[in-house]
This record gives sequence, C-alpha cells and structure tokens, in this order.
Amino acid sequence: MQSLSRLLNKIRYLLQETFLGLRRGGWLNWAAVSTLLVLLFLVGIGLELSWGVDATVQSLGGQLEISVYLEPERQGVELQPQVAQLPHVAEVKVITKDQAWRTLLIEMGIQDEAAMETQLGENPLVDALRVKADSTEALGEVAERIRQLEGVDEVYYGDRIVEQLAQIQDMLRLGSLTLTGVLALTAVAVITTTIRLIVMARRREIEVMQLVGATAAWIYLPFILQGCLFGVISAVGAWGLVLGSQQLLQELLEQLIALPFLKVMQAERSQLEFWFLPLMLLGMGVFLGTTSSLIAVRKSAGR
Amino acid sequence: MMIGQHISHPPRLHRWAGTAPTPHLPAPANPEATLGFYGSTQSGSLQTPASMVSLRGVSKVFPNGSLIFQDVNLEVRRGEFVFVTGVSGAGKSTLLRLLYGAEQATEGTVIVDQVCLFSSEGRRRPYRIPPRPLAMLRRRLGVVFQDYRLLANRTLAENVAFVLRAQGLSPAEIRRRIGPTLKMVGLTEKRDRFPHELSGGEQQRLSLARAIVNMPVLLLADEPTGNLDPENSLLVLQILERLNSFGVTVIMTSHDPYLVERAGHRVVRMEGGRLYDLR
Repeated sequence: MQSLSRLLNKIRYLLQETFLGLRRGGWLNWAAVSTLLVLLFLVGIGLELSWGVDATVQSLGGQLEISVYLEPERQGVELQPQVAQLPHVAEVKVITKDQAWRTLLIEMGIQDEAAMETQLGENPLVDALRVKADSTEALGEVAERIRQLEGVDEVYYGDRIVEQLAQIQDMLRLGSLTLTGVLALTAVAVITTTIRLIVMARRREIEVMQLVGATAAWIYLPFILQGCLFGVISAVGAWGLVLGSQQLLQELLEQLIALPFLKVMQAERSQLEFWFLPLMLLGMGVFLGTTSSLIAVRKSAGR
Repeated sequence: MMIGQHISHPPRLHRWAGTAPTPHLPAPANPEATLGFYGSTQSGSLQTPASMVSLRGVSKVFPNGSLIFQDVNLEVRRGEFVFVTGVSGAGKSTLLRLLYGAEQATEGTVIVDQVCLFSSEGRRRPYRIPPRPLAMLRRRLGVVFQDYRLLANRTLAENVAFVLRAQGLSPAEIRRRIGPTLKMVGLTEKRDRFPHELSGGEQQRLSLARAIVNMPVLLLADEPTGNLDPENSLLVLQILERLNSFGVTVIMTSHDPYLVERAGHRVVRMEGGRLYDLR
C-alpha cells in the first residue's frame, strides 16, 4: 500500500516536472518535434513507396509473359504439355502462326489479305507460346529451361522491365537511407540542444537538488521523458501525414514507374502489416528522442 | 573484496527522525570486510559510533597544483558545535565541500556519519563514494552558504518544499513539515513571498530552513553570517545553537572573531594548509 502511494507520488512528480520542462521549452519544443516529425514522415513514405514497388514487382509475375518462338517446322501444341510441366509455370497459351498472322494484319490495317500474301509469299511467322510464371523471381529460371527445350528458337521475357523496377527499388532504398541518416542526425542535434537549454535554464535548481540528495535518475528522468514525449508526438503526427498522403503516394509511384500497361499495386496488407508502420515510427521516434535527451543530460549528470 | 558488496546495517544511532534508508559502512563485526573496504591493515580505521566526522591525513591539491591543505586530522563527535576559522582562502570552504562530497580529497580518509566518502589508505587507486550513496548521505546533511543559493522564481514555502520534493516525499508529508520549519526560523508570515522580497538576514534564515527541513544529523554552514550585520548574524547563530541543542552536529566556518569568541564553542583554525585546535 505504501509502495503504491510512493509509486503514484513518483509518477505525479515525473509528470509535473516533464510538463514544467515543456513549458520552459516554449518554441524549442516545436523545433524539436517538427524536425523529428519531418524525419519520421519521410521514413514513413519511403517505406510505403518501397513496399508499393515490392508489391508491384511481386505482381508482375502474373502480368509478365515469356514469349517462346518455335522453329518453323514445330507446332505449338506439341510443346505445350512439355512447357506446362516445368516448375513455376502458371499458364501456357499457344498462338499459332495463323493467329499471329491475322493479328499482325489487323494491326497493320491491311484488309486485303490476298494482296499481302502475294507480296510476302506464304505466312512467314512461326508458332509461339505465351508462358506465365507464378512469380517474377521465377521468370528468368523458367525462360532458361524453355530455351533448352528442343524445337525452341528464341525466348523473350520482360527482363528489362524487371531490371528497371529493381533499379527503382535500389534508388528508393539508397535515397531513403541517406535521407534518414542525415535527418536523424539533425533531429538528434535539435533535441539535444533543446533539452540542454532547458537543463541550463534549470541549473540552479539542479544544483540545489544534487545538494540535498536527489538521485541522478530523479533529477534527469523528467528530461528523458520529455525527449521521449517528443518522439511519441512526432510519430503520431508523422503517421497521420503518411495516411493522409497515401493517395498522392500512389500517383507518385505510378509516375515513377511510368509503364502505362503496368498496374501499380496498392500493397495488400494484413492487420499485422498495417500496424507495422506506426509501431516502427513510434519506436524510432522514442529511440531518437530518448537518446538525444540522454546525450543532453549526460554531461551535466556528474556531480 | 569488492566495494559495494558489504552493506549491512548497524543499529541506528542518534537520529532526529527516520529518513530514507541509507547505506552504511560494514559493521565492525566482520573485520575482514571492513579491512577490505578500507584497503587498510590497521585496526581502528572504522569510525567510532560516537563520531560524526572523521578526517585522517587529508590533503587537498587542486588540479592546477596549488596545495590547499596537507595532512589534516579532524574528529567531530555527534552533537558537537565546531567553528572553523581562518583567513579567506585558507581552505575552510574546501574543507566543508569535502564533507558533503562536492569536492574529493587528494589523499587521506574522509568519513561522515559512518559513510566513507574518500579513502586512499593502502590502495593504489583511492576509493570515491559512488553517486547514489553520496545522494543518500546528503539527505542526512544540511548545507548553508554565504550566498544563500535560493530559487528566485519560487516562494519561500516552495523553496523549502523543493528539498523534500527532490527527495521524493509525498505532497502531504511536505505540507506537514513546512510549517514547523518556517516557524523555527521565524518566517511563517512570509511563506508566500519571493526571496527577493526578503532582507539579507531573512534570506539566510530561509536557506537555513531549507537546510534543516529534511532533519539533518549534520549541518554544514559555510560563512552563513558572512553577508550579515551583527544582529542578523547573532540571530542565525542562535538558530544554529538551537538546532545543536536538539542534537544536530553543526560545523560552521566564520572569519568573524567577535562571533566566534562570543559563542564559546569548540574552535579549529585553518592556517598555512594545516588545521589547529584552538579551543
């Protein structure tokens, strides 16, 4: 019972002192919170963007096809079962040379089929297969196996698109890492300065407290708590901003990838994944805020 | 034997009231632990229960190399009232600072109320009291300065309450203690004023109130009358003597020969880096 009241007493003291620190901080609080908020917001959208790209890459497996062109005398239907048996193959479609010819003619806007045939001779095209893989990563492997089958002349797949997406992924990662690093340093500097100024403003009081036997934890915990609070407020704000800018992000991502036929995926998320971002922002904010104030009071925490 | 393994509680001695539990030196019952703690092979290195302050062979050299005092020995019994005199710069304040741990000795042993603050006896690297035990010791001390060191933006009552708040007491307990303390120094009517609204004598009485509100066993007063006129000096001295009559050990520095003469307590004098017993 007594220990409970002592605990409550401690909590009340901590809250009072932390609030006092905030009041003394004035606009410095705003500087600290806004720096941290910008940092966390950028980390947040960076993550969202790269998740978007990841999801897009993931879904490409369903959209990207491998085009297999056969040697002239081979027929698509002969190879179809063989290809379908390969691992990671989701779907195999046969396009006979007649079908391809017709499509080509239509695309070229030629109505007079007979005139064309007299010019080009017989249908020059070959049978082809359109193969879909079950994932993007498997694309290369599947293409390689098909290439080794007998009767296959050439194999094409959208490796350039995959490469481009991978580049975007790398860029995003590097960019957001660099930015995060620089901004994290800035945030730590600003919070450290803020807390140190408040510590300095209260130096007289701290001296007296030390003199009458206040423990270091008792003196400095309010400052640590204040830094922690900066982290919490910034994380909540940053998450709000990330949620609010999600539509914008989607459009940005589509522009970034700039492939009209490619549908950019809104990452489908489970409950767990949905909470991952805010929790991560919170963790990062609290960590940076607490660390900064620890740095700030470390020097004065001697005797 | 490592420092800090030893703590056992000897029976509580003379005390005003129960304050926070405090780490004490090992009980003499276990001589090996005691010896290990002090790093000394001599018997009798532990403070006797009757003494409040023990300085043994204490020297203090400032980092810039200037010697403040050398081989100082002082034994203050519980309940004593001791004046430390000497010209300015003789090291009186430094002596007091050693006792509340604001300054560390260079050599020797410093023990206050059974707690060793510093000891270089028989060890290569001297023992210094860690922050937490020091804080706990300070809760049993009261310190008064010549320049008062009050908090300007807090009222009298808040200035006194601040001490107890810093020690983690509950608001109810703090309220209960402030009244009697302010009464003791005669500032009850002005409890809601601010320090700058007080005269010098009143400010010093307020700083006295702050020093005694946690019911210390030892009061260290560094030139408490240094800035005061004779009447106010006398008033402060009377308060200190009253505390002393309750059993508080008082060590007070002063360079006012009239006051020292008049009080008739034990007097030690700092001179040329040495401490002499005068009376």
